[in-house]
Amino acid sequence: MKERGGTAVVSTDTGTDTETREAEEAEDAGAPAEEDLPDPSGPARRWPRIAAAFLVLALLATGVALFAEGRALRDTPATSNRALTDSEATTRVAGDVSNALGKVFSYSPQATAVTKESAKQLLAGKALQQYAALFGQVEKQAADQKLTLTTHVVRAGVTRLTDDSAHLLVFLDQVYERQGKPATTAAAQLSVTARLRDGHWTVVEIASR
Amino acid sequence: MARVRMTGNALTTAAVVLAVAAAGAAAWGGVSWYDAAQDESAAYAQSRDEALAAGEQAVQNMNTLDHRKLAKGLDSWEDSTTGELHRQLVDGRSAFAKQIQQAKTVSTAQILSGAVTELDDRAGQAGVMVALRVTVTAPKGKPAVKESRMLGKLTRTSEGWKLSALGQAPVGNTAG
Repeated sequence: MKERGGTAVVSTDTGTDTETREAEEAEDAGAPAEEDLPDPSGPARRWPRIAAAFLVLALLATGVALFAEGRALRDTPATSNRALTDSEATTRVAGDVSNALGKVFSYSPQATAVTKESAKQLLAGKALQQYAALFGQVEKQAADQKLTLTTHVVRAGVTRLTDDSAHLLVFLDQVYERQGKPATTAAAQLSVTARLRDGHWTVVEIASR
Repeated sequence: MARVRMTGNALTTAAVVLAVAAAGAAAWGGVSWYDAAQDESAAYAQSRDEALAAGEQAVQNMNTLDHRKLAKGLDSWEDSTTGELHRQLVDGRSAFAKQIQQAKTVSTAQILSGAVTELDDRAGQAGVMVALRVTVTAPKGKPAVKESRMLGKLTRTSEGWKLSALGQAPVGNTAG
């Protein structure tokens, strides 16, 4: 204020100079004044921004949390097992495995070669090895004793099913017939592991229960 | 000043885009959660596993009986069953208890494997097949070990799945 007063006194001498100076001063004063403008309204303007930022974060967090919750609901050990939930696939694997067991565990003295051949197609891996070891004896027995074995699947249940592997529990009846003797029936319970190969379920492991 | 304005606009735009994206994420998460919560196959899978667990436990209970703890054993039989089977057990309890007291047998069971063969989640009905090993010890002689295969029907009750029918899987009447 004092300097301004001073300038005003000088102004009587050189008007133009003072005018420019005053204009300069006005500009100088004006610039800070305009820069100061957001300042008084600053806190009021900042709050909505902070609120908006929180809202955005909250929305993001909600989205992520809900998605994670949804996944947890959907991807449980129970849902990864498609036994019965995928009824078509369940029926198919039970059918394929029942058919395979019925074929490989049925033979007659005349047709052991047929059984052997179907085993090569329907079994694989460990199951095929076990079967090959067993079938050497069976073949001889069938011929010597004129033994016929017929295997029926009583019930097959799928305990675990994924895209390409399955575990089943199978109840079987095995009817032994010797020439000239009455047939005897034995019950068998098998745990079977199967794998899907080229659209067909192949038995890869058999364990007696 | 113009530069500052443009930055301000860009910031506003970015903030709006971010807000919309966040709202989108929340909505997407919500939809995904809702889908999962409504997913019937997840609930069905859950029911299947519950039915199997309950079925195996019930079959084990029904093959376990110690003449020294007869009341406890028969209570467990009744707790594992419902419907017609439960009624039969209650009706025949005293006669059966007398029988076991005379025979003085101890039966234990080990579940080897089990599977749910059918499940009607809405009706609360399920079928199970169970392979088990039963050991019966009489006062004289060696324990008799027998492989057994059973078929059971389960019914859902307020206390979970319970056996409403149980029997040996028949042998020898599968003609073809």
